[in-house]
Amino acid sequence: MEAQTGESMVALTESMERMEARLEAATALFERAAALIEQQESDRTGEVRKIVAAVETGREAELQKRLDAAEQTIAELRAQMEAQAEGPKPGRKTVPATTAQFLAKQGIASLDSLEAGTLDAALNGLSLEQRIAVKAQLLRAGVVG
Amino acid sequence: MKLDAMAVTLPEVAGHPNRAPFTGVLTLVDEPSTKPPSGARGHRVILTGGAARAALPSLLGMAVDYVPSWDGHDSRRKCGIITHADVDGSQLRVAGYLFAKDFPEVERQMRECLPGAMGMSWELADAHVEDMRAEIWTLTRATFTGAAILLREKAAYRNTSFELAARSCRSITARSALRERVHAGTTRRFSRRAGQCQPDGTTGKEETWKHKQAKAWSR
Repeated sequence: MEAQTGESMVALTESMERMEARLEAATALFERAAALIEQQESDRTGEVRKIVAAVETGREAELQKRLDAAEQTIAELRAQMEAQAEGPKPGRKTVPATTAQFLAKQGIASLDSLEAGTLDAALNGLSLEQRIAVKAQLLRAGVVG
Repeated sequence: MKLDAMAVTLPEVAGHPNRAPFTGVLTLVDEPSTKPPSGARGHRVILTGGAARAALPSLLGMAVDYVPSWDGHDSRRKCGIITHADVDGSQLRVAGYLFAKDFPEVERQMRECLPGAMGMSWELADAHVEDMRAEIWTLTRATFTGAAILLREKAAYRNTSFELAARSCRSITARSALRERVHAGTTRRFSRRAGQCQPDGTTGKEETWKHKQAKAWSR
């Protein structure tokens, strides 16, 4: 019972973290899209909302640098999401070597079709914390849902 | 040389502790900026004389601001007000007051900096660019929303200037306002040829400007 509660907490936390990351990425994309639309509109009409006759300051350069970094992160996240969508099935995702070795010792050679009962039996000899850690790793790897 | 000018007439108050009169060259018209202004996507810009003259009314009553590093704008740090603006040849010149009592650090900087070190920068809204693909953007319409005092080297136009007047500013306009019975708060527009004498025989604001500029540059 206690173990199940811990597992579901871990699963819930990780699920929320993933959702948060995706929302952040989506927000950044929306902001970028809005800026692009504004620029396109400006290009079309020749209207510029604001110009200041001062040269770009260090702060603006820093902000530009951060924007570039954010765009790079977005591009990486997008590539990662696309790879996940089109990539190998969850069962074939990699898990840490130590976890794979441990599971192999417990008789679980393949992660393609892992049943909950089999996994629980294999983890029976571990402490609660170790079981949570192993299941979290499997969850991250997409082996268990 | 044609002079187009506008001014907001404020009542003169002798020894006002919070008014330090200033004069400055805000920008050059019909000439490309030395560097690309912020917001111009890397393009240098030309503010046309027509656009500048048409935008003069929007400049009056606008604030001058500053940043402690003297390298940009901070529209929420307003340390003065523009009460007079004119386009004289290629120069758009302004005059007004600094809030010297509220911003002693600004007045101190102006008094202590090297002559000619400080310049000005405008802030425009709703500017219209003739051709966005041009290497140098030509601004044919704009609204002034403010100005900043900054180091001249940080301004997009290098040939701007800012200096505090040694004595009570706006005296000429104030005298003219009294003579013409213009009430405080009214806006006057006048246009005359540069160098033309005032009716009272003085050489007018033009001479004062030139004298001040010559003195500043000679230093």
